[in-house]
Amino acid sequence: MEIFLQQLVNGLTIGSIYALVALGYTMVYGVLKLINFAHGDLVALSAYIGLVIMMQLAGALSPAALIIITFLATMVIIAIAGVILERTAYRPLRKAPRLSAVVSALGASLVIENGIMLIWGPMPRIYPASIVPNVNYDLHGVYISLMQILVLVISFVLMIGLYFFVNKTKLGTAMRACAIDQDAARLMGIDVNRVIVTTFIIGSALGAVGGLFIGMYYRGITFNMGWIYGLNAFVAAIIGGIGNIPGAMLGGMLLGIFNALIAGYLSSSWAMALTYVLLIVIMIIRPTGILGERVAEKV
Amino acid sequence: MDTKKTLSYGIFLLILAALPFGLNSNWVSVMTTFLIYSTVALSQDIVLGRAGMFDMGHAIFFGLGAYATAILNMQFGWPILATIPIAIILPTIASVLLAAPIIHLRGDYLLVTTIGFNIVFTQALKNNVFGVTGGPNGIFGVEPLKIFGFTFASQNSVYFLALFILILTLIIIHNLETSKPGRALHYLNLDSLASECIGINTKFYRLYSFALSAAIAGLAGVVFTLQFSAVSPDAFNFIQSVLFFTIVLVGGPSSIPGVLLGTFFMFVVPEIFRQFAEARYLVFGIAMILIMIFRPKGIWPVKFGRIPNFLTKEQ
Repeated sequence: MEIFLQQLVNGLTIGSIYALVALGYTMVYGVLKLINFAHGDLVALSAYIGLVIMMQLAGALSPAALIIITFLATMVIIAIAGVILERTAYRPLRKAPRLSAVVSALGASLVIENGIMLIWGPMPRIYPASIVPNVNYDLHGVYISLMQILVLVISFVLMIGLYFFVNKTKLGTAMRACAIDQDAARLMGIDVNRVIVTTFIIGSALGAVGGLFIGMYYRGITFNMGWIYGLNAFVAAIIGGIGNIPGAMLGGMLLGIFNALIAGYLSSSWAMALTYVLLIVIMIIRPTGILGERVAEKV
Repeated sequence: MDTKKTLSYGIFLLILAALPFGLNSNWVSVMTTFLIYSTVALSQDIVLGRAGMFDMGHAIFFGLGAYATAILNMQFGWPILATIPIAIILPTIASVLLAAPIIHLRGDYLLVTTIGFNIVFTQALKNNVFGVTGGPNGIFGVEPLKIFGFTFASQNSVYFLALFILILTLIIIHNLETSKPGRALHYLNLDSLASECIGINTKFYRLYSFALSAAIAGLAGVVFTLQFSAVSPDAFNFIQSVLFFTIVLVGGPSSIPGVLLGTFFMFVVPEIFRQFAEARYLVFGIAMILIMIFRPKGIWPVKFGRIPNFLTKEQ
């Protein structure tokens, strides 16, 4: 039972990181109907930028201030990168066949991935251990570290914030309107371009938090990690029902717990394969994901 | 096929046949890879370009063919010639079994599910499933092909074998284009609901396109094994599938010259720029974005014979 609870804690931590990254996929998919393959690479980029900022500022600031400044600066930089990505790779293809945009997204992914490799080299980089104090709290035999608490709390705050933004604000309503029908939204006086840019800003900034957590939690980062974390997060988005924000959160949590339980009880070398078996089974049983709605075929 | 088209294919194939006599061995091996990957890309095009299904797991069938030959030869001592039928039949059966439950999925969901299949496939190879796949390093030392006492051991002989398979594929695709299943796939791609209403069995033809493309990819896998006399899981991971997917779209879906150009662009051009090893994929990514911006239907888009322009134009 204790092993199970311990894996549950670990799974929730990983799951909330997946959920943060998955939100970026699901929001872009909701508005543009496009799999943003470059999102995973933006996450990897954020881990590198965060490391640079931390190294520059280490020693000059207290740990808490260091973490806050790193997070804010990285989120801003990655949000700008997301907007540039939208401008250069996606906006010119808005009217093109859908598959062309997929290729453009794959091209953008190659550019970012290899850009990281050219700047920081092909070798893995290691995050310093001392950023978050290595403290473990004992909850009747189940250990939870300060880092895990930080991940869980920040992720939940961000996700609840996003939920209220999308459901309660004017811009969030515009975003939902664009997800349903862009032309109708435009006729209602919504500036669709502004909504899309906002989507990319929020999605990329959340991905940046995810990337920093990956760096601080796993500590080792590589230039090509974007594909693997990106795909896992994308699977999370699909499991929950893509285009659906609560779905991405649920999918991320489920995937994280599933991964941790497999790694705990079975072997970790099959973990990834079993993740995708889960995906395939869910796709066969419920083709639009757990919380997804049936989308009518266009005639 | 009109004379102009026949003539240009003739010249193209003659140039390919003459190439090994004018190139050094390094480039012959690059061109052999080009021929093999062209075959796989053309088979991918049957599913993606002609039937219009987003299959991003095509390396599975390529890999199944390659591994079938390598395993039967190395673990069970079969001669290569005897393994070829298995290397065609096994991917065909696998493609039908894998595709049948997911064939109804809408575009992007199918794409992700096929990536999933591909990842499960490479993980199974890496974990040495059934103890015959050789784990992460793969299988080394596969014998060359022997037919009637002739051994396909030299580089040039493998090149001509690959060229033979490519020509065979071109003939199959030409026949497909002019036959009933080919037309069915074309209608299915344009509008699956309407084609079902006029009596096309969409599920059958979707599986048909998967089976045909898997058979061709499996055969290409045999040549791949012969070229390197080895197989390894990384040659068939999902990144390779993404590459085949991209080739078809960059070149131009359901356009044979387009797919060949796409393969050239994605496999041979990076070889030419090998001295800029580090930056070449960066340039490559930029090129992919630019091509899609300026030619969203691919470098060499297909032209459909007598269909009036206003009917084919994107609405």
